[in-house]
Amino acid sequence: MSHVDDGMLHAYLDGELAPADARGVDAHVAQCPDCRRRLDEERALIARAAELLARATPPDRELPPFRAGDVKPHTRVWWQVRLPLAWAATVALALGIGRYLGREAPPARQAETATDSEVARGRSLARRRESRPEARGTVRTPPAAAPALAPASPAPARARADYIALPRPELVESQVARERTGELAAKVAARKAASDGRDLWQRGTVISLDSARRVLGADPFVVPGVPVEAFYMGRGVGYSAVVIVQQALDSTTMIEVINARPAPLRLDQVVVAGAPAPTTAADSVSGAERSLAGRAHAADSLEARPLRAGVQARPNLFRDVRGSLSPDSLAALRRRLQPLRPPTGP
Amino acid sequence: MPEDLAEIYRTTYRALVRFLYRKVWDAERAEDLAQEAFARAVVHKPDNARGWLFIVAANMARDDARRAARERRHLTLLKAEPQASEPAAADDALHAESERTNVRAALEQLTPRDREVLLLWDSGLSYEDIAAQTGLARGAIGTTLARARRRLVEVYEAGHRGEHVARG
Repeated sequence: MSHVDDGMLHAYLDGELAPADARGVDAHVAQCPDCRRRLDEERALIARAAELLARATPPDRELPPFRAGDVKPHTRVWWQVRLPLAWAATVALALGIGRYLGREAPPARQAETATDSEVARGRSLARRRESRPEARGTVRTPPAAAPALAPASPAPARARADYIALPRPELVESQVARERTGELAAKVAARKAASDGRDLWQRGTVISLDSARRVLGADPFVVPGVPVEAFYMGRGVGYSAVVIVQQALDSTTMIEVINARPAPLRLDQVVVAGAPAPTTAADSVSGAERSLAGRAHAADSLEARPLRAGVQARPNLFRDVRGSLSPDSLAALRRRLQPLRPPTGP
Repeated sequence: MPEDLAEIYRTTYRALVRFLYRKVWDAERAEDLAQEAFARAVVHKPDNARGWLFIVAANMARDDARRAARERRHLTLLKAEPQASEPAAADDALHAESERTNVRAALEQLTPRDREVLLLWDSGLSYEDIAAQTGLARGAIGTTLARARRRLVEVYEAGHRGEHVARG
């Protein structure tokens, strides 16, 4: 056999030579010192080239979760979560200030769309303001709300500045996820459920499972055994966080499982983004690692926070199934809803 | 989502990001493109998803490079200055950065075909896959790789020597 050429040596070293050819190379190299030396050289060359290429590598990041259509949602999720909350805070602030500053403007007239619950929230805020005036500056307001707050002097400006100087998005999300709901919220939820709500839930952008968990503060509920197509950020009036899970019953039938957290109705349930919060177990538990036990523990430690005394500890989530099925089928699916299990780690 | 695509994602995503990074030289851009490629794979459900992903990624990187080239012309002017005055703390980062630049420069001295074959091999594709993707004969892959590796190392070493001479 003639000498082995470079291409063959490289294919041999790469393990890409057909077995018969590889045996031929073995046999030749065994009796040809020249080719043996070249074999070593090429082996070193291959190692060196791989080593150089390894220096041209991007920083190794954690593998992002992959779902159908799950393309870079991470940059947006946080404000979609915050915005409804910020609006709720704004309404509450406007009502509260109106009540506090001037009796000539009853809160119900200030905000025409205010519901009973929002008025209740406003009262609660007014009470808080009397006892703790410094609470005002920490309430976040979206820029668009500034006109409504104009008479309140420096508060809007400061609130807006704080709004810009945001903490990291994940911090916001985890804080939002920690807020709890009251009994009024449950009533609102019941009313929503009672009213026929085909368009009650609006579907937004696709999000990852991790984001869904963070938004809800719990595993989203799904119909077990049915493939999950995607998670969507949703919106619903009266709800601060809505996640819609799309599942495919078969190739033509999609159902949507609504997971919604009613908006907080009292100011002390509004978690203010950026405010210093005591470190709790929830902060250190990442979404993927969160186990049931871990969550229970986090809930315990949250309950221990003084502000939250007497507030229901478990997130009171509203769930529903919708789709083009008979009411009976939907009801049957509703009964089967289970929390989505955390993925088992690699 | 088909189960096997999820598996391919798990095993191939990083390699795809690396492959793309060596074309666009921007880590975030590479990740965006890799995710975009997978998103397309979900829609198209190709037979050989792995090979298909790299073909799509290569095309996207080429389109991206054309667009980025225009933008970069402005940016290099702005970026050039502050780097020189970085303090010693950033030395390691700077070193890694200059290593990367050297490897990049060496890679750019390869012919496009040699470079493509080398990057695909380094991404974990087999000779068979590389042949299918580049249109080369399977028997020519070894020769191409041998040439590409030799050229990469030679150009890099030459650049490195030049740098040391210039410093000393």
